[in-house]
Amino acid sequence: MDIRSDTLKLLERLSTANCADVLVVGGGISGIQACLDLGTAGFKVFLVEESPAIGGHMALLDKTFPTNDCSMCIESPKFIECSRHQNIEIMTYTEVERLEGEPGDFKVTLLKKPRYVLEDVCTGCTTCVEYCPVKVPDPFNQDISKNKAIHIYFSQAIPLVTYIDENCLYLKEKKCRICQTVCKNKAIDFTQKPERVEVKVGAVILAPGYKIVDRQMLERYGYGRLQNVVTSLEYERILCSTGPYEGEIRRASDLKHPRKLAWIHCVGSRTVLPGGNSYCSAVCCTYTQKQVILTKDHDAEAQCTIFHNDIRSYGKDFERFYQRTERLPGIRFVRSYVSVVGENPETKAVRIRYSTFEEGVKEEEFDMVVLSVGLRPPAGAEELAKIFGIELNEHGFCKTNPGNPIETTRPGIYVSGAFQGPVDIPESVVSASGAGSQCGELLRRRRGKLATERVYPAERDVSQEEPRVGVFVCHCGANIGRVVDVPSVVEYALSLPHVAHAQEQLFSCSSDSAKAIADTIQEKGLNRVIVAACTPRTHEPLFRDTLRMAGINQYFFDMANIREHCSWVHSREKEEATEKAKDIVRMSVARSRMLEPLEEFYLPVDKRALVVGGGIAGMTCALSIAEQGHEVYLLEKEDELGGIARRLHYTLEGIDVQNHLRHLIEKVNRHPLIHVFLGASILGCKGYVGNFTTSVRSQGRVQEIRHGAAVIATGAEEYEPTEYLYGQDPRVLTNIELEELIAKREERILGAQSIAMIQCVGCRNQERNYCSRICCSHSVKNALKLKELNPAVDIYVLFRDMRTYGFREDSYREAAEKGVRFIRYEPQSMPEVEAATEEGRSVLKVSCPDYVLGKKLELSVDLVALAAAVIPSAKTRELAQLFKVNMNPDGFFQEAHVKLRPVDFGADGVYLCGTAHYPKHIPEAVSQAYGAAGRVLTLLSQDRIVASGSVCEVNEQRCVGCGACISCCTYGAIDFRETPQGRKAAVNPVLCKGDGLCNTKCPTGAIFLKHYKDEQVYAQIESFLSELEQSAEEAKKATGTGGH
Amino acid sequence: MESVAPYKEIVELVEQSGGESFRLCYQCGLCDAVCPWNRVTSFSMRRIIREGVFGLTEIEGEEIWRCTTCGTCPQRCPRGVNQIEAGVALRKIATDYGIFPASVKPIRTVSASLVGEGNPLNQERANRANWAQGLAVKSYQEGTEILYFACCYPSYDARLKKVARATATVLGKAGVDFGILGPKENCCGESIRKTGDEQLFKRLARENMKSFIEHGVRKILVSSPHCYHTFKNEYPNLGMNLQVVHISQYLWELIRDGRLQVKGEFPKSITYHDPCYLGRHNNVFEEPRDVLKSIPGVEFLEMPDQREGSLCCGGGGGRIWMETARNERFSDLRVQQAVETGAQVLVTSCPYCITNFEDSRLNRPDSDAIEIKEITEVLAEVV
Repeated sequence: MDIRSDTLKLLERLSTANCADVLVVGGGISGIQACLDLGTAGFKVFLVEESPAIGGHMALLDKTFPTNDCSMCIESPKFIECSRHQNIEIMTYTEVERLEGEPGDFKVTLLKKPRYVLEDVCTGCTTCVEYCPVKVPDPFNQDISKNKAIHIYFSQAIPLVTYIDENCLYLKEKKCRICQTVCKNKAIDFTQKPERVEVKVGAVILAPGYKIVDRQMLERYGYGRLQNVVTSLEYERILCSTGPYEGEIRRASDLKHPRKLAWIHCVGSRTVLPGGNSYCSAVCCTYTQKQVILTKDHDAEAQCTIFHNDIRSYGKDFERFYQRTERLPGIRFVRSYVSVVGENPETKAVRIRYSTFEEGVKEEEFDMVVLSVGLRPPAGAEELAKIFGIELNEHGFCKTNPGNPIETTRPGIYVSGAFQGPVDIPESVVSASGAGSQCGELLRRRRGKLATERVYPAERDVSQEEPRVGVFVCHCGANIGRVVDVPSVVEYALSLPHVAHAQEQLFSCSSDSAKAIADTIQEKGLNRVIVAACTPRTHEPLFRDTLRMAGINQYFFDMANIREHCSWVHSREKEEATEKAKDIVRMSVARSRMLEPLEEFYLPVDKRALVVGGGIAGMTCALSIAEQGHEVYLLEKEDELGGIARRLHYTLEGIDVQNHLRHLIEKVNRHPLIHVFLGASILGCKGYVGNFTTSVRSQGRVQEIRHGAAVIATGAEEYEPTEYLYGQDPRVLTNIELEELIAKREERILGAQSIAMIQCVGCRNQERNYCSRICCSHSVKNALKLKELNPAVDIYVLFRDMRTYGFREDSYREAAEKGVRFIRYEPQSMPEVEAATEEGRSVLKVSCPDYVLGKKLELSVDLVALAAAVIPSAKTRELAQLFKVNMNPDGFFQEAHVKLRPVDFGADGVYLCGTAHYPKHIPEAVSQAYGAAGRVLTLLSQDRIVASGSVCEVNEQRCVGCGACISCCTYGAIDFRETPQGRKAAVNPVLCKGDGLCNTKCPTGAIFLKHYKDEQVYAQIESFLSELEQSAEEAKKATGTGGH
Repeated sequence: MESVAPYKEIVELVEQSGGESFRLCYQCGLCDAVCPWNRVTSFSMRRIIREGVFGLTEIEGEEIWRCTTCGTCPQRCPRGVNQIEAGVALRKIATDYGIFPASVKPIRTVSASLVGEGNPLNQERANRANWAQGLAVKSYQEGTEILYFACCYPSYDARLKKVARATATVLGKAGVDFGILGPKENCCGESIRKTGDEQLFKRLARENMKSFIEHGVRKILVSSPHCYHTFKNEYPNLGMNLQVVHISQYLWELIRDGRLQVKGEFPKSITYHDPCYLGRHNNVFEEPRDVLKSIPGVEFLEMPDQREGSLCCGGGGGRIWMETARNERFSDLRVQQAVETGAQVLVTSCPYCITNFEDSRLNRPDSDAIEIKEITEVLAEVV
């Protein structure tokens, strides 16, 4: 069975049984994640996307911050996972027309737009594209390059079929029809009409994403008028190897490589001008830095200037990313918004005027200017709101409940991703998993009813066959092909022993390529498959699945990494890179001959969950899991639930925190499936995904808890400052202390005539090199509250960068409007605070330079509030060891992947939410709590889990029972086992991650890693050495020098 | 670094005088980047704002008087600061204290003249209608279709009288029923208001309004965008609601409706300067261009700074009366821009702009490089 017939089957099923549990609207990363979670958790899902392929904006991006992973490389495996998922039906080029009904029973009318191509017949061969005479601007490449009127949306598109756009000559003038003539499969169908489909679903997730700011706003910066002004989205495509210039940075006027570039921040954001957004778009600062780093990767000599007003590196690892950018040679960050005044008529360089603090206004020319454009509500948001009967907020995004930002104003309709407001990829993924969890709560009785399981054909027994190796060499667009001579690698592969087939592929990961691999396995009777492409880290599961679908044991697959290990690191040495790629392929072939079929383990899953931490995140998560029918053990170290929220009272979004908390605690305490342990401490944790045993001491009693999943929600703490007289002078408070005193309406607070707030106390420094994210908004929140209670109070906020990202920017402006004064300081001249007497009154003197005035401001205030850093909870390290999970350099827990697995840990079955992950606002913590619950359900809804076949095993005859392997295993996967021959090491295959560390420690070679056995690895090494010897031999002969 | 403390009383004074929007500033520097002053010297609106926020304004200094109220920075300010209104607040304080730096001193004479004679030019009120001598211009009476409010400069200034006369001629050709109020009108007061003299503005405005009402005026035609701005946007707050039309709009209306026949040719290349108060402040960009483009023979050229991006002549905000150093005149740059387009005539539609441009032209070594004309003057040659 191949993917296409899969799709066919799904489409058939759609026409007969048009029922699903959930409809997901929007096929970007958020929609995709929601589908995958729900599908895996036993729900059937329809995924509707209005463009011709799924992927959304993430598919347009070259790389993603702050890890600079290739965006397509990490997203496209998800496309394929979606398209192969037995519980997900993808409907592209489809819009929603109407929705009726109620939660649990919605009837939705979908309108499938005509592609004029039969989706189930088209093979995606693109012959029609070649012959089509009509060139049109390519929408995927932001209209910079040309495509044809019939084309595939992008190379990795799912579905990988063509569509015909409105520029087609036949559609316009009834002429041409060349495509019909050349299509061998007769896939072109000009008789297609828009088609209405009615489906029934229980719930809806809206994930329509965003659009960039309107053109009117861009035109203020010369866009459209000056050729060398581009949007950041266009620049993403320009950077990308599949982009308009095949990965070379060129500018439009002369197609030359720009040397001197400028980025203009906040285009269309943080502005009250008509057509602009008053809010901050939250992602642009960091994506700009990413683009600058990538530009420097392309051209080390490039000079990059970033014009900004506040760098908002508020996310996890963003501050380091900012520093990394800043430290590159030739990079300037200039704190000024700019005016684009025109272009140099000869060079077409863009002229920019900006202001400086020391030298006044300057004018400078740049070869190319990138507009860091802001995010707007998705196109058609109003129409969408009408169709779904939901309300929008004042910015035109989905109106949500601050206490549960995934909830829309209509029950049964949820929202995830950037339709909630401007958010980055991890938050879109988190809210997707969260929306999945909330659908799971609503539809818990239906779970598993409509879902089906994936069926693989029986495996072919190849034990008696000679190795027949197939080698597929991937161009990865231009990532590999630009450097490595792919055809010559293919030719070389064919010359190797046992290679029965070799071919090149543009993208081995695209679904047509996967199909080609599967077909070739069957046609040519291959029993080993090598894909020479990128990293197994992202793509191995995909290709292994391809082997399974073709009836071959998946461990007969080997990946030769000729991208990360070759083309990327040797981009300037093309010939040598090609030779290296051949070496890598040869080694892989040698290894593959030695591969063995391996079996995977199936283990039962304990259906209960453990949640560590009884703050808002932990309680929310526990409730959502329990609401889906699973027992939850909720541990809280204090004698009371609530966590740090017990000290918080109000938020900028308007949450009455104490009220919210009261309700939450009540619900938790009343829930029959939640068992709360107060004053709890964890003594130990054993086991593995699906089967944990945690021993807990609570109120004097020790108890063993068995559970299948664990969620860490242990929160964070407020830093206790040593700066600014804190602890010495009672008038110096932290932000939380101030908030508590405001809530108590304490007289010394309400009666204060003037208050100074100092930001970044204890973080963004050497000791804590991160931004605590919440403090700018926290100070603004307190300032607004104080102004509300006493409008006459003078408030000064001393900040480094105001990081009121997202809609919080409105509150920043509101505070300014109410008279709160903001004074920027720089780390090289920190504010000073001293006690003093002024006109007989005891005051605190706060002073720092003001860069606009060029003078030092001296403030006399009654109180000083410190925006003290949010620091990891003291228990973090201990817990990390207990649960075998990682921490980041700042001491917060480290998720499995910052972009796409933001609430998972590397250790399976353990999840993460709340401020234990990183400082965050309450709505964000709530969203993450639901996200973690959603991920937990993808595990707990399974009856069994699969463990890898590539795990360690002990040859007991050789084992001397020294225990070296046990002490080095970070996963606790090895234990002693008593045998008649004495104590021997034994591996728990479920816990073993296959890292092989024990192999290197074992003095007798008793422990070995399956799939990486000595003979397999030696075959690989020997294959390398033999060639080396051979060429040395040849070199000797050629130079005629004698040997020893 | 010099230490300063916020001066609370001054903050309050600034805010009460109309400077409250200074608060909104987040110091992005865009106002400085777009300010025409920074094309000729160094000037920081951002600093003026910042000083206002902390009550540290130098009331006696020159800086608060620089702003020409051209409207570029408020049009671009992302935070919604109203630099003009707030800047005028500072001038109000200076005016109240009677503090004027040297370059601003002429304002005293101007004020006296406005109080005494109703014009800023030290001319006699009685002579206000003299420009119309020899032309068939009637005094406005109830029932006349349009009041032509010529503005002080076209009424008295030798160069600008030509504009008033051209206007009367063109209106006559089109058969428009119009009249003037002559000595019974006062300066509109727009510019003196921008110098911070709110009282004088109100006095002039009330007198004008009284005069308009007494004569039953319903529609006012103006030559000056400054008169246009204040009649249209500021007088209504004082209780007057008349139909106000600028000559460039009216000319286009007459041409479009066929009331004014363009008979001759104007075989020259023309570039058009958008006056701040017509363009940026009131969004009249197309009508003057439509008028000029409708004239046979005209080759129409645009300057790089056009429409919303037009470069101020330097005459707004009361600057028309103040001293501007020789090398700091925006109008020099503007005339140069016009010359660089290759145009033979620089056309505009504001008496201040004409005054400044003629000055800049005459100060050029090649003073015959370009002609300066008011839009009606061009039209008067072809109807």
